[in-house]
Amino acid sequence: MKVLVPIKRVVDHNVKVRVKADNSGVDLANVKMAMNPFCEIAVEEAVRLKESGAVSEIVVVTIGAKAADEQLRTALALGADRAIRVETEEDAQPLAIAKALKAVYDKESPNLVILGKQAIDGDNNQTGQMFAALAGLPQGTFASEVKVEGDKVQVTREIDGGLQTVELSLPAVVTTDLRLNEPRYASLPNIMKAKKKPLDVLSADEVGVDFTPKVKVLKVEAPAEREAGIIVGSVDELVEKLKNEAKVI
Amino acid sequence: MNNTQVAAIFEPILGAERCLTDTASAEQYGTDWTKVWEPAPSVVLLPETLEEVQAIVRAANEHGVALVPSGGRTGLSAGAVAAKGEAVVAMDRMNKVLSYNPFDRAVKVQAGVITQQLQEFAEEKGLFYPVDFASAGSSQIGGNIGTNAGGIKVIRYGMTREWVSGLTVVTGKGDVLELNNGLMKNATGYDLRHLFIGSEGTLGIIVDATIQLARQPENLTALVLGVNTFDDIMKVLHAFQQKLDLTAFEFFSDKAMAHVLAHGVPEPFAERTPFYCLLEFEQTSEAVGETAMELFSHCLEEGWVLDGVMSQSLQQLDQLWQLRERISESIAPHTPYKNDISVTVSQVPEFVAAVDKVVQEAYPDFEIVWFGHIGDGNMHLNILKPESLPKEEFFERCNEVSKWVFEIVAKHKGSISAEHGVGMTKKPYLGYSRSEAEIAYLKAIKAAFDPNHIMNPGKLFDKE
Ligand SMILES: Cc1cc2nc3c(=O)[nH]c(=O)nc-3n(C[C@H](O)[C@H](O)[C@H](O)COP(=O)(O)OP(=O)(O)OC[C@H]3O[C@@H](n4cnc5c(N)ncnc54)[C@H](O)[C@@H]3O)c2cc1C
Repeated sequence: MKVLVPIKRVVDHNVKVRVKADNSGVDLANVKMAMNPFCEIAVEEAVRLKESGAVSEIVVVTIGAKAADEQLRTALALGADRAIRVETEEDAQPLAIAKALKAVYDKESPNLVILGKQAIDGDNNQTGQMFAALAGLPQGTFASEVKVEGDKVQVTREIDGGLQTVELSLPAVVTTDLRLNEPRYASLPNIMKAKKKPLDVLSADEVGVDFTPKVKVLKVEAPAEREAGIIVGSVDELVEKLKNEAKVI
Repeated sequence: MNNTQVAAIFEPILGAERCLTDTASAEQYGTDWTKVWEPAPSVVLLPETLEEVQAIVRAANEHGVALVPSGGRTGLSAGAVAAKGEAVVAMDRMNKVLSYNPFDRAVKVQAGVITQQLQEFAEEKGLFYPVDFASAGSSQIGGNIGTNAGGIKVIRYGMTREWVSGLTVVTGKGDVLELNNGLMKNATGYDLRHLFIGSEGTLGIIVDATIQLARQPENLTALVLGVNTFDDIMKVLHAFQQKLDLTAFEFFSDKAMAHVLAHGVPEPFAERTPFYCLLEFEQTSEAVGETAMELFSHCLEEGWVLDGVMSQSLQQLDQLWQLRERISESIAPHTPYKNDISVTVSQVPEFVAAVDKVVQEAYPDFEIVWFGHIGDGNMHLNILKPESLPKEEFFERCNEVSKWVFEIVAKHKGSISAEHGVGMTKKPYLGYSRSEAEIAYLKAIKAAFDPNHIMNPGKLFDKE
């Protein structure tokens, strides 16, 4: 069984991003980039499936510029077998990404596609669903548990009211939620081995996708600053303020 | 004098609301992390201005009241403990950044500014305050200066001392001194600033400090390596230092790791090894990353290293650091007896072997946890209290063995306190690192600044 894991290079989760002075976006100059945390979880899940014997090959794919090879190499170090990068300098948006993934899917014919529920840069939460629709595949989104049994996959989903378990017939699409697993670190011996694993590059033409953005960002603003809290002197004062100032009791 | 009478001396200066005598305040402000002595201050004073600090010191001189300067109370040598009815001078209210000059890359802060607050201020300005350790969220700049705090970046950035370019102090006599005024160069005789750094509150009270800032490090990357023996750690250090500028080189034993993992920090790799080291460097280019990989391969081939991981994101950098930074906190419930000892880096293997032997023989029934800033030749030797043993008996047995440990320290011309200070916990052992003649000079210096012995008496050394 073969698994395809799409991953994305994004601003590192721990970076405090700053809005550019002209409000055109956030400042990405000299900012640390890393694999999207939900993608790390997707890679980890695929590797665990491989370790359990359910999966024989893991292919990771990303859409982006050459710099994203760094994240592909990380995925290879974590246990993926091969990597593919679809080349584009554009800031690709979910629909174009989903279309490119569809092209890679057709080429690779994997039995399972595992990807993050969203990327922390755009926070769109669209790519997995759009791709499943384009490829005509069943989807199990927001997975907190994935079990492969024969030609079926059981996905436990985190939904508003609790947990829901769905069964999908393979091939299928799974998007990962935060509690699915705890990703491992890339071990140094594996980082070295990863350098020798195959990494193929496809051009936008080869996948037949136009990555020119279709959605235009008009303005980006930082959230309003919260006012500093105060320390009250006594419970009575707290109650008084809650009543008369905050007007919540 | 009873507590109310002592408070009455200071009330005209601060008002009753900033002279605390209640039990909760006494317990909170009268102790640090050591928890060996019961806190018993007469009063807790909360000054807000230089003038108030000076008035407090003058009044204390007049009435013969002992003062204990108190910062974030994260100290590990009982320097900020008030167990004998002293008045605590807590700097908590003096927590403002006073001025910042981008050309000097310097910031002037009040002594009560929290270390992390300064780190964040620097970050906001696109700069970096490099003194860092696990207690930075609570410790104060005044306390850091009082102990000449070190921490996890010393190998690259040095101790607190390197970053202090100016101090305003109130001496034990009650004089206000402005020391060095932020100058980079100043060859005008004795540099009194440096006497106050590491003085543990025994010469006077630090009121504000001018701190230099560094450029922000670029793409910090951490390796955690599994190592077989102590000797191998030093070989790894040597190999890496020849080719990379390390920003940190820390080590910890598997026992330390076990305590941290029990606190829910994720394991770095599947197989446990006897020791671990954590190295950090700026991965400024792909070439630097390559060099690190080559060094790792070399260490692997030599058999010094068994396994290793490398952070791939800042989040992983953070998580890997937790393996080291959460050790103190995770062993704290076991009332550890802490030794913070150092020798020159080249002597570390021989020194550790000798200490380990003594300790193993002396405490076959105790759990020994080693960790520390090994790149600086600084080791934290922690002995954990067995649950069944009463605290007093435990510390008594530890004190007994300390002498043997410190004899080995003395033989290697090492330090009985590398960065935690002497305070009360290491006071009986000062002679193992400082000669009698030297201590006589220390006392003479103290007498010059604090003739009436009101500043933190009983810390560092006794009057006679
Ligand atoms: C989890 C943990 C990890 C730690 N790791 C490290 C480490 O890696 N490296 C390290 O060096 N230390 C470490 N420490 C020890 C401690 O955090 C440092 O010694 C720190 O500098 C103490 O600062 P503080 O503000 O808490 O000082 P306090 O404990 O309040 O006081 C320390 C000494 O300074 C004096 N003092 C405080 N403020 C003033 C002032 N304004 N004027 C004059 N004297 C003053 C006090 O009288 C006392 O003698 C650690 C502690 C903990 C709890």
